[in-house]
Amino acid sequence: MVDTTVSASVTRPSPLVAMVGVTKRFGAIAANEQVDLEVFPGEVLALLGENGAGKSTLMHLLYGLYAPDDGHISVDGKEVHFASPRDAMAAGIGMVFQQFSLLPNLSVLENLLVAWPAAPWWQGRARSIMSEVLVWLRKLAPNLDPARRVSDLAVGERQVVELAKVLNLDPRIVILDEPTSVLTPDETARLHGFVRNLAVAGKAVIFITHKIGDVTACADRVAVMRHGRLVEQGVSSSKSSDQIVSAMVGQTVLNRVGPAAPVSPVPRLQIFKLSTSPNDSNCPVDALTLTVGSGEVVGVAGVIGNGQTALAEAIAGLMPVLTGEITLDGASLACLGNGLPPPTRALAYVPERPIDNAVVADLDVATNLDLRLLQAQPFFSANLDRAGRAAALISDYDVRPRNPDLAAGSLSGGNLQKLVIARELSGSPNLVVACYPTMGLDLIAADAVRQRMFEHAARGSAVLWISEDLDDLLQYAHRIAVLFNGRLMGIVARDGASRDRIGRLMAGIGDEPRVA
Amino acid sequence: MADQDFLMLGSWIAASLRSATPLLIVMLGETLTQRTGVINLGVEGEMLMGACAGFAVAAATGSPLTGLFAGAIAGMMLSTVHAGLVLAAKANQIGSGLAVWMIGLGLTSYFGRTFVGGQVSPFLPLGSYLPNAPLFIRAILDQITATAPAALALAVIAGFWLYRTRTGLNWRTVGESAEVARALGIRPVRVRLQAILVGGLFAGLGGAILSVDYTQTWAQDITKGKGLVAVGLVIVARWNPFLVIPTALLFGLSETSVLKLQAGGVAISPSLLATVPYFFAILVVVFAQAQGRRSAAMPADLTAIFRTR
Amino acid sequence: MSPDRSRGIASILASILPTLIMAVVFILVAMAFFMSIGKPPLSTLTDMVKFAVGDTYSLSETLVKTAPILLCALATIVPARLGLVSVGADGQLFVGALFGTAVVLAFRNAPGAILLPAMLLAGMAGGALWGFVPGLLRGRLDANETIITLLLNYVGALLVNALVFGPWKDPSNLGWPATISFPAAAMLPGFFGTRAHLGLVFGVLAAVGFGMLFAKSRWGRELAILKGNAKVGRMIGLSFPREAMLVMSLGGALGGLAGICEVAAIQGRLQPGISVGYGLTGFLVAWLSGHNAFVAIMVSFLIGGLAAAGDSLQLFAKVPAASATILQGLLFATALAVGGLSQRWRASRG
Repeated sequence: MVDTTVSASVTRPSPLVAMVGVTKRFGAIAANEQVDLEVFPGEVLALLGENGAGKSTLMHLLYGLYAPDDGHISVDGKEVHFASPRDAMAAGIGMVFQQFSLLPNLSVLENLLVAWPAAPWWQGRARSIMSEVLVWLRKLAPNLDPARRVSDLAVGERQVVELAKVLNLDPRIVILDEPTSVLTPDETARLHGFVRNLAVAGKAVIFITHKIGDVTACADRVAVMRHGRLVEQGVSSSKSSDQIVSAMVGQTVLNRVGPAAPVSPVPRLQIFKLSTSPNDSNCPVDALTLTVGSGEVVGVAGVIGNGQTALAEAIAGLMPVLTGEITLDGASLACLGNGLPPPTRALAYVPERPIDNAVVADLDVATNLDLRLLQAQPFFSANLDRAGRAAALISDYDVRPRNPDLAAGSLSGGNLQKLVIARELSGSPNLVVACYPTMGLDLIAADAVRQRMFEHAARGSAVLWISEDLDDLLQYAHRIAVLFNGRLMGIVARDGASRDRIGRLMAGIGDEPRVA
Repeated sequence: MADQDFLMLGSWIAASLRSATPLLIVMLGETLTQRTGVINLGVEGEMLMGACAGFAVAAATGSPLTGLFAGAIAGMMLSTVHAGLVLAAKANQIGSGLAVWMIGLGLTSYFGRTFVGGQVSPFLPLGSYLPNAPLFIRAILDQITATAPAALALAVIAGFWLYRTRTGLNWRTVGESAEVARALGIRPVRVRLQAILVGGLFAGLGGAILSVDYTQTWAQDITKGKGLVAVGLVIVARWNPFLVIPTALLFGLSETSVLKLQAGGVAISPSLLATVPYFFAILVVVFAQAQGRRSAAMPADLTAIFRTR
Repeated sequence: MSPDRSRGIASILASILPTLIMAVVFILVAMAFFMSIGKPPLSTLTDMVKFAVGDTYSLSETLVKTAPILLCALATIVPARLGLVSVGADGQLFVGALFGTAVVLAFRNAPGAILLPAMLLAGMAGGALWGFVPGLLRGRLDANETIITLLLNYVGALLVNALVFGPWKDPSNLGWPATISFPAAAMLPGFFGTRAHLGLVFGVLAAVGFGMLFAKSRWGRELAILKGNAKVGRMIGLSFPREAMLVMSLGGALGGLAGICEVAAIQGRLQPGISVGYGLTGFLVAWLSGHNAFVAIMVSFLIGGLAAAGDSLQLFAKVPAASATILQGLLFATALAVGGLSQRWRASRG
């Protein structure tokens, strides 16, 4: 491996962290297999890989959440055995998780305090020592009021608090787990800036991601993992995007084909001046007007938490409509007075966070697959070939393990998503509403899901695709609608689309709201 | 205001305070317990244990203070069953609390039969310490003992402790997420154990005050569901020790109104009147839960137990 | 023996092992309790078994206790299918007794063929009302049904008190708070000259009926879905509030039936103390049965035996009545402990 230093110094400093021959197995699966990794102070290392490649596991080993089955970890040249994250923190390692470990009911200040080792016993607000805990927060976000409850913060703000929490421990090594997946392009750029500053200050930063953009923006070196092994390492400037992606996937990238654009789409889903009630904890929809035609794939972009959930649930009939209309082929989809959606089999709904919103975790896979057909069954029914239908769907959509009697909750995130897709997309819906359908899936599985959606579009369904992945939308969607604070900021056709323009709309700046 | 009116107002305030005091202390203990993510319906049994043991010891030693002490210990001892079941055996918290209640009910019915009709020497009313206080103050102080201000002080101290100290913050963190707490180096099981024991201690103390100070009697099932009311009212007080004071006082007021109505010769069946405090408790619990559904102040780990959607 | 057969037997053993352990532990705990109150442990235990099922009289007394316990257990089991934790059987029992008595007092001269069913139906209606209220509050306002049902228990008992001390008091009773004795037309007859009565048959029928409904019907599956994830249930058109009110009312009706049967078959009139904690005992039985209606029949019988034996012990062996409550509490705690520990053990091996 050719190794050219990027830093100005002539000699290479010794590694701050060295992981040698690290192996970790969960049951029969090897999440990490013989991984050798070194991290140096003052650099940003991007740890790349698609979902399930083992990068999070590797960092969880470094952070003391698990112990390696084989191999060892050294910090500052000395071998270490972390029994828990406390030991890792004591050794100077800090980690910002993808699922933030903030306590939503407590204030920003309290969240910082509880994680601060130097916190005093008496925490009267007027004490001078209290301002010490806010030092990093003020640097990162000077306008953030520490008295605010975390549950009131936007995702980007929460990430700042999480980062400040970790930096308060004065770590020498900072690990960031997929930090950009929930940010606007602007916030992403700002984060890249922070990361570079941390490296300049002498810290070692490990940046876990699956996005090439993060690598080019701030990484000095890149390490690529695939199927638990480290397959590629080196200075990031010496690697091309294609090289990196093929290392991630293990084959040359498929020439992915998007859906053919409909010639003159007949409107099927018509949303007119839709507003939902603001007393939910989700951001409500605000006077939104949108049309999706037959065969169209309309993407919905926006930072998570800007009304996507309310929009999807309103269309699915789960959230009451305050004002406005939602119709599919002329029939109203709005939630009925008793809180239930209107009975219709024409709609396929793939909600976000399937474990919470799409399946009954305690019940078996077969029952979950059969959910939509339940109401049509007679009162005293035998099995009615439930097992047969389930087996067919399981094999068609590659749900693993292939056992219809397992509890749905025992499935991994990716397989759970496949279960939901199998249930919703195996019929002939007239409308497909998909919320983050590829989140957590590896590239091959994500591709399969996209193809299913596009097949339905080709059949003539209307497809509304809410996604966090701007690249996906830019590549495949016919039009992209951008939400901010529940309002439609603009709709961009594929031809006129650019990341910058959409990024501005996502941040609430820019175009006049246009009617579809 | 005429002297008579002063006296009556003072009498109402004092009576509400007296009635509220045992409930306040039990609520305080359960608030701290629930703040760590544990619900303990067994406080009803622990309160009974405190009332029984407290009364027995106070009658035997002639010292009401010793009785309170014994009652608190008795409550804490019973709470170890709940702690063992919930923390060691990871049993369901509702079931465990009810089991503890059953055991407490049985034990106190069993051992308490000899004490029915016994006598205790009561605490002196506060008024006797301040004979020169103005009439209005005297009207109140003559009818309450030191337990009432002690309970109020305890609530205030608990509030400051919960919101302004490191250990209080740790307890709240455990209640929000035991997982995050563990990652931060806090020991959730140890904190929950302490919280359950403190809850038992307070429940026993509250029960002892009920039998030794408030009613000065012992009878089977003397608490008649007060411990359960306390568990419900903790929700109304938003798990906030400071708000426990007005909540308990309101409940005490509802009980006092019933007693005053009876004493005033109103021709309504005393049993029927006795349902009023329960209806009051149900109403405020329902109202509080309906209100607070979105603005969750409930410790997050507790929501699984309450199964809110 | 073929490997399949030995594996089958092993798995059967494994599933009943926790129950066996629990029974053994409970017997030890009970013996320790008897020793602590100065009674010989082994002979007291054998006395209890004798008093439970030793002869026809004991058996019939056990069945007398089994009826209300089974009905109260079902009053908990039915709501539990939706995930609701109802401890309100005692209150439903009292209010059911109240409603049934009201009908008898109003139409005391009616013929048995009309009075008896009307009385029973009224009892069920009263209990259903007492279950409906917490069901409504839970379904529409998300208010915790456990606390509300617990508090309503006290209210139910107080309402009965208010009536039997007041307007319904039989003046010829010389100060004893109770209604007039029920006319013969309103009395539930016993079987074969014993006190065991029709309430037991109702209980068994209800247990079997609901058991089948839960296991086989579409409604049973709908309840399971709503219990697991109400949001997903809503997505497919199921209404949690509607089902909550339904299961609570049905459970309440069974509790009310227990109450009116107790009055009409055993007590002969409405008076305070018609329930000796049947509601809480029923909750215990529901728990021990794993919330399975079929199993509850058997477990109710066992606990009924425990309760009957407790009564007889009090009469013949001077063991105070409260010991039965203590034993039930210890049984509950033992079951929770053994259940919890065996789950932890299984989880650490799996």
